[in-house]
Amino acid sequence: MKNRLGVFFTVFIVLALILNACSQIPGISSVNNVTVTVIYGSEKQEWLDPLVKQYNDAHNKTADGKTIIVQATAMGSIESINGIIDGSLQPTVWSPASSIYIPVANAEWKKTHSDDLVTGTPNNLVLSPVVIAMWRPMAQALGWPEKALGWADLAQLATSTDGWSAYGHPEWGLFKFGHTHPSYSNSGIVSIIAEAYAGAKKQHDLTQADLQSPELIRFMTDLEGSVIHYGSSTGFFADKMFTNGPSYLSAAVMYENLVVAQESKRLSGDSSQIPVVAIYPKEGTYWSNHPYIILNASWVTADQKEAAGDFETFLLDKPQQLKALELGFRPVDPSISLSTPLDAQHGVDVSQPKTVLEIPSAEIINDIQTLWTQVKKPVDLVVVMDISGSMNGKKITSARSSLMEFINKLADRDQLQINLFSSSITTLTPLSALGAKRQQVLNSVSGIFEGGNTVLYDAALDAYNGLKTSGDPKHIRAIIILTDGEDTASTASLDDVVAKIKADQGEGGNSIKLFTIAFGDDADKKVLQQLAEPTGGKQYDSSPETIQKIYDDIATFF
Amino acid sequence: MVSTPKINWFLLILFSLGSMAVFVAALIFPSFRTIAYAPLRELILPPPAPINITVLYSTEKETWLDEVTKNFEATSPKIDGHAIKISLEKMGSWEINAAVLDGTRKPVIISPASSLQIAALQDSTTTKFGKSLVNPADTSSCRSVLKTPLVLVAWKERADALWGQEPGASVWMDLNNALVNPQGWAAYNHPDWGYVKFGQTDPLKSNSGFMTILLMTYSYFNKTGNLTSSDILSNSAYQKWFLDTENSVGQFAESTGPLMTNMITYGPSTYDFVTVYEATAIQQSDNAVGRYGELHVYYPPVLSWSDHPFCVLNGDWVTPQQTEAAKQFINYLTGNSAQELAFQKYGFRPVDNSIQLNQPGSPFEIYAANGIKEDLSTYPNVEIPDGNVLNILRDFWSRNVNR
Repeated sequence: MKNRLGVFFTVFIVLALILNACSQIPGISSVNNVTVTVIYGSEKQEWLDPLVKQYNDAHNKTADGKTIIVQATAMGSIESINGIIDGSLQPTVWSPASSIYIPVANAEWKKTHSDDLVTGTPNNLVLSPVVIAMWRPMAQALGWPEKALGWADLAQLATSTDGWSAYGHPEWGLFKFGHTHPSYSNSGIVSIIAEAYAGAKKQHDLTQADLQSPELIRFMTDLEGSVIHYGSSTGFFADKMFTNGPSYLSAAVMYENLVVAQESKRLSGDSSQIPVVAIYPKEGTYWSNHPYIILNASWVTADQKEAAGDFETFLLDKPQQLKALELGFRPVDPSISLSTPLDAQHGVDVSQPKTVLEIPSAEIINDIQTLWTQVKKPVDLVVVMDISGSMNGKKITSARSSLMEFINKLADRDQLQINLFSSSITTLTPLSALGAKRQQVLNSVSGIFEGGNTVLYDAALDAYNGLKTSGDPKHIRAIIILTDGEDTASTASLDDVVAKIKADQGEGGNSIKLFTIAFGDDADKKVLQQLAEPTGGKQYDSSPETIQKIYDDIATFF
Repeated sequence: MVSTPKINWFLLILFSLGSMAVFVAALIFPSFRTIAYAPLRELILPPPAPINITVLYSTEKETWLDEVTKNFEATSPKIDGHAIKISLEKMGSWEINAAVLDGTRKPVIISPASSLQIAALQDSTTTKFGKSLVNPADTSSCRSVLKTPLVLVAWKERADALWGQEPGASVWMDLNNALVNPQGWAAYNHPDWGYVKFGQTDPLKSNSGFMTILLMTYSYFNKTGNLTSSDILSNSAYQKWFLDTENSVGQFAESTGPLMTNMITYGPSTYDFVTVYEATAIQQSDNAVGRYGELHVYYPPVLSWSDHPFCVLNGDWVTPQQTEAAKQFINYLTGNSAQELAFQKYGFRPVDNSIQLNQPGSPFEIYAANGIKEDLSTYPNVEIPDGNVLNILRDFWSRNVNR
């Protein structure tokens, strides 16, 4: 009897311990947890990621004892708000790169809701001015630092057929400019608003009449004409510039902290690039202020609001603000002085900017976005699609539907060619403006079927040579190659294709870009990487389930 | 042999009756409780319920009020043996008025940032309830506790370009001219500074924003008192001038402290001039050092004061005991130690006139180089208009500017 009692108590105690332990493990006992999802602008990823881990490791609790778990995801600021508005994203907190898009977000939200999505004045997490990052020798050639530079100087450089020759540097070629895509990223929208102001020669009170003036339209068209390609996020764009160097990109719109981060790398020997400096546009700029917005949405519970507030307090505490300073942000805590690395050695000047531009109304911002679609640099695009026998079933179906979706994202002025390859190469539609033929192309794509071998190298070389001959060098020129297998029947070799691509890299950022999609596990990813990377394009691994996302990502370049 | 002492029955009965009387008295009158036999008292007698004093107060004095409230409670204050317990809740000055008016809060004391709100509340509660919930004429239950004037804070280089070393009598006119000039700073030989940027708080939420629009209005009519509703509603030249200035403000901050912080962290790119309290400027001055040049404080030619009244409400939810306890609390706040703290640590001007502002280490000495002036006796003050006029000015702003 005594033994039985002993066993009973032992089992009881062990069970109790297990239950108690389980309640400490996230996800096991969700009743005792409250999860805060944060979607934030990717520029602060390096700061935020370790802080999320540190915060979660501390097992912070709400007033009624629930453990707070923060799950944070980096995403382009405009892309994320579009997802929140259409309901595909339902985070607790939205922390875009700046407040500039909040009026537009509220206006969109109120089309289907009675309240604003963003209420009150959210606290900012960190600050950083929007700057034009430029290689120091190039800035000096333009007269910096004695001369203040701005958007007008860039436009002048962009329209010069002599490019850098006009400034005594023929070896630098044409001026190559970049900013992110305004439909995805905050710095993209900021860039086009600033361009519009500069085109109107104004710093506030931008009107719809201004946006219709031929001078403004010409100014924006000229400046956009020097853009090598767009991109989904500012962090990604900075990476492109700082990895590929001055022959790829002369200058790009980004945030001051990204310049500091690059210069810190260079000074510590982790980057072999020449120095880069932040130009604070003399006409005015905007601040990237990283507001922390606890959304006023039905899916945010009271518990989540409380927990999100606790995480916000943590981020605003001095130790976390000091970490932001180390990474090149300007802390919002005014008691922290703007000391190193915010200095000339790291390419920045904390006494700048001298002025900001007025934030236009939601209506004007929408109008500028529409105008941009008309003045942006068009793309000449060749899609090369593998229709060999192995593409049968789900592969060909998803490849067809995602390509159709992608075609719908291209502008009327964009030129599109589609080549299909198996044992031979067929041109489904030649390179010409999409506007007049869009429906016909969509119909043709819907009828694509598979069969035959894989002449990958021949198809790549054919598309490349074709685009080089018939594409407009003043447009963004790009090729998308989708394949699910290795080359089996080409007459050209991989070396032939690579040699051809490398021979043209003197054009830097303006050269033809290759985006390669390895569709399934049988594709030779190494080969596809060799094709894409030297061009400044990108290699993607894909499957029928993810192909749509890949096309969405490629669309951000145009 | 030791003899057993005789019991004096008379004394025993007298002592017993005395003890019982104390016990009964302690039950009925808590002030007797302290003389009851302690172990027995704690065992038998329940502690008397504390008197709870709820205080709705404006945010500018938060840290000071937190600190002095703890100090006050540490003195174990009592009314009739009942401990006094203070519950603080912060709110925007105008939000306090709104909460009292719509009944969502029933505090014992309200303390907005200025007597302007008290005047407005007098008017609004009289209209709504037929009687005023505040009585500023009775200084024992409603009086000023701290003082600080509204000032202009600017980046010195930019203020120099606009008005020279010191603003003149036309400071508000000068500011308006600069704000509406489409050339912006280019008209003052500084095209690189862009357009002229002025910051203030939202007058519907924050007192400093309201004081700003009141000072502007007085300035337009070139008077310091007798502001009337027809001045605001019937003078189209004033309305245009006023709305031009207000419409130039990019975003109205919700409260004064964060506005000053933004001025310092964003710098002159975003704010050339802001209106804040002198105490706010003092509290944050050190943070501005080593950023965007010198930040300077300028006094408008006619002053408006944030005087932080603490007023016991004349509401049916306030008991006489609470009123007494509230008065005791207000007395403590105007006492020397609380006033010294407000002055030395937070840069408020004490209402206790025995405290000298020019003593060594005084913030008024330390920040003199930033434009802080100890003696403002030569500056005239604007009169607090009738509550009805204040409400009309708020409505006018709300209808025409609010965003």
